[in-house]
Amino acid sequence: MNVLVVDDFATMRKIIKNVLKQIGIESVFEAENGKMALDVLKKEAIDLIISDWIMPEMTGIDFLKACKSSEEIKNIPFLMVTAEAQKGCIMEAIKSGVDNYIVKPFTPDKLQAAIEKAKARIGK
Amino acid sequence: MDIKYINPFIIAAQTVFKTMLGISAEMGKAVLKTVNSTSGDVTGIMGLVGDKKGTVAISLSEKGAKFVYKTLVGDECENISQDVVDAIGEITNIISGQARKEFERSGINLSAAIPMVIVGKNVEMNFITKIPIISLPFYFPIDSENTGDKEVIYVDFSFE
Repeated sequence: MNVLVVDDFATMRKIIKNVLKQIGIESVFEAENGKMALDVLKKEAIDLIISDWIMPEMTGIDFLKACKSSEEIKNIPFLMVTAEAQKGCIMEAIKSGVDNYIVKPFTPDKLQAAIEKAKARIGK
Repeated sequence: MDIKYINPFIIAAQTVFKTMLGISAEMGKAVLKTVNSTSGDVTGIMGLVGDKKGTVAISLSEKGAKFVYKTLVGDECENISQDVVDAIGEITNIISGQARKEFERSGINLSAAIPMVIVGKNVEMNFITKIPIISLPFYFPIDSENTGDKEVIYVDFSFE
């Protein structure tokens, strides 16, 4: 299973990678913003996207909209992991097609549960 | 300053420490800062705009910042590396997000940008408000052997 982790903070990418490792997922691709993530998606067969919201160049919500408007990648589960906890943000993400939304701070258990749910959905 | 502008930062700092680091941060005595300079060695700064405007700065000593990095990521670090700076930026981002969630409960909508991190003590900062800066210290244990060693994280903010 290939996971794409998108966050401008290397710390958060490492935290998410540690959680993925704990559940046996070691094939992880990284990107610092939505634009870089779209480049990765052109080259790699990604099974799950985990993305932040606030990032330079291309934000997570714009990246989500770009993914969901593309026939090739719209079915890849998209998990938003962000500090944006306001209702308006969550509603915008849901309207844009996000599959799950986790607010930072989160416990590893919460993120693991969301990843397991996405894994079950794609049968991996 | 109205208590409703202070409580979100208290809740945010304690929730983030408990959830992300698994430790309790105990609040000390709030003080009014008389200088616009960083309280610790590594400081994440974020402007807040929307229904109100303000600035929040999250500041730690070198030892405290390295402890936060190690606890978050699991890696050791010898000095204030780019990785440690990045970790303090992310903690600032998360505390700000949690505080904005609490403000929303009081009917105050705020948005934030990407935080900036300053390395150095007593570095002058530009708070975008003219009212006094409130400094909330939170003490947290840094030794798993319970020797009583504690560090402090300062949540400094000015809000109007």
